Amino acid sequence: MQVLIVDDSQIMRKIITGVLKKLKVENIIEAVNGKEAVDAISENNDIGLVLMDWNMPTMTGIEAVKKIRTSGSKVPIVMCTTEAEKEKVLEAIKSGANDYLIKPFNPKDIQSKLGKFLAACTK
Amino acid sequence: MKVEHLKPFVESVIETFGSMLDCPVKNGKPFVSKDDDQSNDIIGVIGLTGTAQGTVALKFPVKTALTVVGRMVGTEFKEVDTSIADGVGELVNIIAGNAKVKFKGHKISISLPTVVRGGVYKLNFPAAVRMTVPFTGGLGDFEILVSFKPVAVEEKEAVHAGVNCG
Repeated sequence: MQVLIVDDSQIMRKIITGVLKKLKVENIIEAVNGKEAVDAISENNDIGLVLMDWNMPTMTGIEAVKKIRTSGSKVPIVMCTTEAEKEKVLEAIKSGANDYLIKPFNPKDIQSKLGKFLAACTK
Repeated sequence: MKVEHLKPFVESVIETFGSMLDCPVKNGKPFVSKDDDQSNDIIGVIGLTGTAQGTVALKFPVKTALTVVGRMVGTEFKEVDTSIADGVGELVNIIAGNAKVKFKGHKISISLPTVVRGGVYKLNFPAAVRMTVPFTGGLGDFEILVSFKPVAVEEKEAVHAGVNCG
């Protein structure tokens, strides 16, 4: 199974990729905005986890989550974002996100938050 | 703009550098910013909208920017390229995003970040006064510039309720 990292920041994608590789996740693909993520999920059944930024050009992460759920996909989605207000977290969960990781985070945060989702992606 | 409006940003810088970069930083005494200089610094800029208008700028000397972004991804950078701009943009995004939650009574949104390299530039700040806070740390010195203007709530309700920022 693949992990899809969705973030308009190349540096943030590199950071998350580095942490995932330390967690033995090798099959990683990337998207730079919500639209690319929606397209990737509609075309690729091998994605087992999505890490989704919120603020991105072209299509935001929350818009992408809504479209992904509307399409019927049940792929786990974890928001990785600076949007830390309680109402934003609730909006994301209500829209279909499975969990929420607030930036700034360190490798331990990623490991503890994603562990339950990553088991299928390290096989 | 009041000095206490700086606290969330100062705290956020300290938290972000400590958490993401494993690098404790210490803030110096804030001062009222002068006109834009002609430095060659790398500056990440982000706008605040909502119940407050503002601009936050994270300003790194080139050497500090190379070191900080290098630490973010575990790579050594020798010159400024798109990765450096991207990294500085992400840092100001995280710092502003983390800070806006600390303003009680406000609902603030942040823009997508922009990164400029100094030389000839002019940053627009909505508040009449903008303030600079210098920082020192193991990765080099840098500054954060903040302009913050509450527009829709009483300032007495909107001040930050956090602890000392040094």
